[in-house]
Amino acid sequence: MTRNAESGAPENELNAAHGMSVVARSQSQLVRRRFFRHRGALAGMVLFGLVVILAVTSIGAGPIPGWWDKDPTTTGSVVGEGRPTLSVLPGFLGGGGVHLGEHPFGQDNVGRDYFALTMRGAQVSLLIAVIVGVVATLVGTVVGALAGYFRGWTESVLMRITDVVIAVPTLLLAGLIGVIVAGRGVVLFAFFLGLCMWTQIARLVRGEVLSLREKEYVEAARSVGTSARRIIFKHILPNTVGIIIVSATLTIATAVLTESALSFLNLGVRPPDTSLGRLITDYRTALSVRPWLFYWPGAFIIAIALSVNFIGDGLRDAFDPRQTRVRD
Amino acid sequence: MSLTPPINTPKAPTPPVEAAVTEAAEEVHAAHTLADARPPSDEEILTVENLTVEFPTDDGAVQAVRGLSYTLRAREVLGIVGESGSGKSVSSMAIMGLLPKSARVRGSIRYRGQELLTLRPKEQRALRGRKIAMIFQDPMTSLNPVRSVGDQLAEAVLAHHLVPRRKALARAAEMLNLVGIPQAERRLRAYPHEFSGGMRQRVMIAMAIINNPDVIIADEPTTALDVTVQAQILEKLLEVKDTVNAAILMITHDLGVIAGMAHRTLVMYAGKPVEVAATDDVFYEPRMPYTAGLLGSIPALDGERDERLRPIAGSPPSLIRLPAGCPFSPRCPLTTEVCRTDEPELAEVGEGHRAACHHSERLAEAEDATAFFRTPEEGR
Amino acid sequence: MLVFIARRLFVSIWVFLASTVVVFFLSTRIRDPLADARQLPDGAREAAMAEISERMGLDDPVLVRYFNWLADVVTGDLGVDRQGQSVSAALEGAFTATLQLITGATVLAIVIGIAVGVISALRQYTALDQTVTFVAFVCFSLPMFWVGTLLKQFLALDFNDWLADPTISPLFVGGISLIVGLACGSLVVGDRRSRLTAFGSATAAMAVLLLVLSATEWFADPGLGPIVIALSAVGGALGFTTLVTGLEWQPPLKAALVTAGIGVVAALALGPVLEDPELLTVVGLALLTVAISGAVGWFLGGELYRRTAVPASILTGVFTGAVIFTDRMLQSFADYSESVGGRPISTIGAETPNYSGTFWESGLDSVGHLALPTLALVLISLASYTRYTRASMLEVMNQDYVRTGRAKGLSERAVVTRHVLRNGLIPITTLVAYDIGTIVGGAVLTEEVFGWSAMGSLLFQGIEQGDPMPIMAFFLVAGGAIVVFNMVADIVYAFLDPRIRLS
Repeated sequence: MTRNAESGAPENELNAAHGMSVVARSQSQLVRRRFFRHRGALAGMVLFGLVVILAVTSIGAGPIPGWWDKDPTTTGSVVGEGRPTLSVLPGFLGGGGVHLGEHPFGQDNVGRDYFALTMRGAQVSLLIAVIVGVVATLVGTVVGALAGYFRGWTESVLMRITDVVIAVPTLLLAGLIGVIVAGRGVVLFAFFLGLCMWTQIARLVRGEVLSLREKEYVEAARSVGTSARRIIFKHILPNTVGIIIVSATLTIATAVLTESALSFLNLGVRPPDTSLGRLITDYRTALSVRPWLFYWPGAFIIAIALSVNFIGDGLRDAFDPRQTRVRD
Repeated sequence: MSLTPPINTPKAPTPPVEAAVTEAAEEVHAAHTLADARPPSDEEILTVENLTVEFPTDDGAVQAVRGLSYTLRAREVLGIVGESGSGKSVSSMAIMGLLPKSARVRGSIRYRGQELLTLRPKEQRALRGRKIAMIFQDPMTSLNPVRSVGDQLAEAVLAHHLVPRRKALARAAEMLNLVGIPQAERRLRAYPHEFSGGMRQRVMIAMAIINNPDVIIADEPTTALDVTVQAQILEKLLEVKDTVNAAILMITHDLGVIAGMAHRTLVMYAGKPVEVAATDDVFYEPRMPYTAGLLGSIPALDGERDERLRPIAGSPPSLIRLPAGCPFSPRCPLTTEVCRTDEPELAEVGEGHRAACHHSERLAEAEDATAFFRTPEEGR
Repeated sequence: MLVFIARRLFVSIWVFLASTVVVFFLSTRIRDPLADARQLPDGAREAAMAEISERMGLDDPVLVRYFNWLADVVTGDLGVDRQGQSVSAALEGAFTATLQLITGATVLAIVIGIAVGVISALRQYTALDQTVTFVAFVCFSLPMFWVGTLLKQFLALDFNDWLADPTISPLFVGGISLIVGLACGSLVVGDRRSRLTAFGSATAAMAVLLLVLSATEWFADPGLGPIVIALSAVGGALGFTTLVTGLEWQPPLKAALVTAGIGVVAALALGPVLEDPELLTVVGLALLTVAISGAVGWFLGGELYRRTAVPASILTGVFTGAVIFTDRMLQSFADYSESVGGRPISTIGAETPNYSGTFWESGLDSVGHLALPTLALVLISLASYTRYTRASMLEVMNQDYVRTGRAKGLSERAVVTRHVLRNGLIPITTLVAYDIGTIVGGAVLTEEVFGWSAMGSLLFQGIEQGDPMPIMAFFLVAGGAIVVFNMVADIVYAFLDPRIRLS
């Protein structure tokens, strides 16, 4: 969002002239430089980092204890109608001072601490999103690379399989699988969700590989008898790293939203597990009585999806500046 | 013809324009048979004075053109030679008014005495493609792939003339014929990808001359083409120049292109003109080491077998932080102390021959100016 | 080309068949369909279980059940669900409802999304572009069900409450005027001064308008009246002529203005006909409008200007028609609002049960029920169209042939419409087609949030009861749409891009 002046290169001449001053920088340095100049991406990084740190450290993860003293499952007496005690407006501005209070995000109708509950939901949602991102990227990259490199039968079969997966609406496919694996934990659910969301990446990677395999250096490697595996892993995939990283990032953002939508429809995470989407479903009727039970998980979903989307946009700009720049 | 009014103002359409177009076409045919080569006249149609172009970037301003002056006379072919990054293309885009908004342009560009840099966008547009037309380097990408060739040619006519579309298409067919594309009527409906590179460049030439311009700017028109096609295109360019009576600004990095066709040649280096002269003088009596270096880097067909090329060592300077002194001094075999501190100005070194070098007389004395540069063996 | 289409069709059919197998097998695995029957007391249990097993073919192997289903589908029979109800009948109603829900939203999202994307690309790096980019990202990251619920809670309830006393608070007037002013200011090209002027005048105009509307309690009994209709028609004529060719050309401008005039006269003359028309009458009038305005453009344009006069005239005609239509609908608003107890914006379902009124009133009833889900759907899908369009436009604007267009001396409008838009919209068309395919499947969420009984209810019924039949019916439509639109996208792309079309 901040790129302006640098865009004004009218033609090869100026590019050449400009190139002379940056010739010493390597590709990865350039990418990093462009990424860190992208204000939206930086803000996204900070926001995402904050959410992750908050979610992980507050109630701890597994054996590691967190700094927040309340447990997401313990019920208790409801204090002050369960209103949030979080206050961020300092006293001299007429607020109640800056403090967390006993229950910063309030309590639900049976007295559970909603801050702890939201953090638990955020942890699960983040975990699912990351697993989905990894699984989808791995499957998509392998399918796309094989299809793009070997062409012929391999390509036909792999791309038809991709088409079949595309033909089934994600909510339907993931929903059915979600019901089938219900009760076997969120990790398994996330794994299968990842198996529903790799098609985009496969198509993108295939397209990229198709064009790369015609490049001279690949021809050269082939002509000296380099094995297909080596060509794919050493010569082709490193050059598709840009689009892979970008689409992995965007898949994570989509995964957060898909997971919450599935959980909302009762097809995803189920009690006793919880997630941000699950929390919204559980408390959606509370909107008119205890609206905070509805706001907090939604705000966290938006924060995660928005920050990851901005990071993805920044990465795209960094890897492929041509796409978003106009020379005239 | 007058130049400012947009040709297609609805209130006062140019007298029966259809007639005007056919008239012009007849004129074209008549001219074609009249004479093969028309010598340039003394009438100055394009004058560039002290032109500078800067692009602001994050690393500082890129000084793409740093004071360029020349004149182009009617029917003259002026060659502008230089490496990429020397400012030759940027200066031609400045004439067309097609530089990006971020560019800072100073100096003066006059077409028949009228200042172009201060024209309003609308007036500038009326001139573009009408009086000053341009042919670009890459014919593969310069035509819109999803619109037919006839459509794109007719568009050029319709942008400046109020005529029905079918007249414009007829004119387009006529032009295709003129540039040597067979079955022009039928080819109007074809799309760019159905043409070869050379044919596409012919289409670009047809597009450039379709409105009978006074000046054709040809920016590396043959660089992207096969060698065998290059000669045909250049020949065609010269031929149509005579038929429409235009002057050509020939921008290239290839001295071979200039040799066969330019009346005068201007050599640019690092955004500045470093030598201007009649083309023969540039070739046989270079007065600037850079020109000599360029000459030494091209293989001569009639040269002896064991004659080695004499390349210029090093690479062009960054245009962001130019060193003091002559920008060519780091690569120049004649460099002395003064070259590193003072940038030489263009100075008269012969009749109609100007060069920017502190040591131009040393080149004049030398028998073979290119010999100052070393062959790779000598360099070792 | 024909061979290409035939091959694409062949592949699509096989892909779709394969995916039905996948979905069928998955849906037989989700839940035990006999679970409810097992709970029954001893005597009834066996009979109930036998009946369900018989109806669903539970004793056959899954493969046999699949082929039975497939054989039935080929003859147009979607089978019966666990209760023995015909799935075909259920699908018909559900599909109509879903279609009603998504059509308007999709068209709106595409039109607005592409328009905003184009403007954003043409004004790259301006405040407008950055605002659009940011808002698009936010919309892109919104969970649909969350926004939908919030809209229901606040927009609908609060708006309905406000209608009881439709005065606008000064704070609101100020805020809206300021936003409108900023938008106008950033749309104007030119120096600081002309931008400030645009900002100032737009803000002031909006503020005055809102204050007048508030003071006259216009929202309680809205309507446009002949003067506003006439002004809008003329404004439309000027605007569309500017858009299509520019105001300096007289024939197209004249054609557009004449069309606008005819429209206004027709609005007055057609008064009685429009009192309570049939749907067919309205459609007929719309077609007539296009024909008449096209003819006006054709004759007034003459040979030289036909190519611009006809579109300018037709756009003006359609726009004027839409204004008249809106006016009529607004006039019925007070009556309608009263008949639904002063709460015109509905949060649940597709129509007010047992409601009957004039054409305009039942139209308003649909609008009232569609408003919220449409808003939610548009908010969410708008973003991706805007981003696609912007990226595609920017890519085209970098191409050499755009520079060639400028070098020819084309006006900026011609460069944008004939080169940038024309080329940039080709990939958009295919992306939009892909997207439309996924909408039916995605509408499930919207239906759930807004309580529409549509395609989603088939899916949920099937999942709850472990019954493949409703699920397969849902999939036939939702998956079929994806496959068909994927195919359409490929064919359209091949058709629009001559490099593929001719090879």
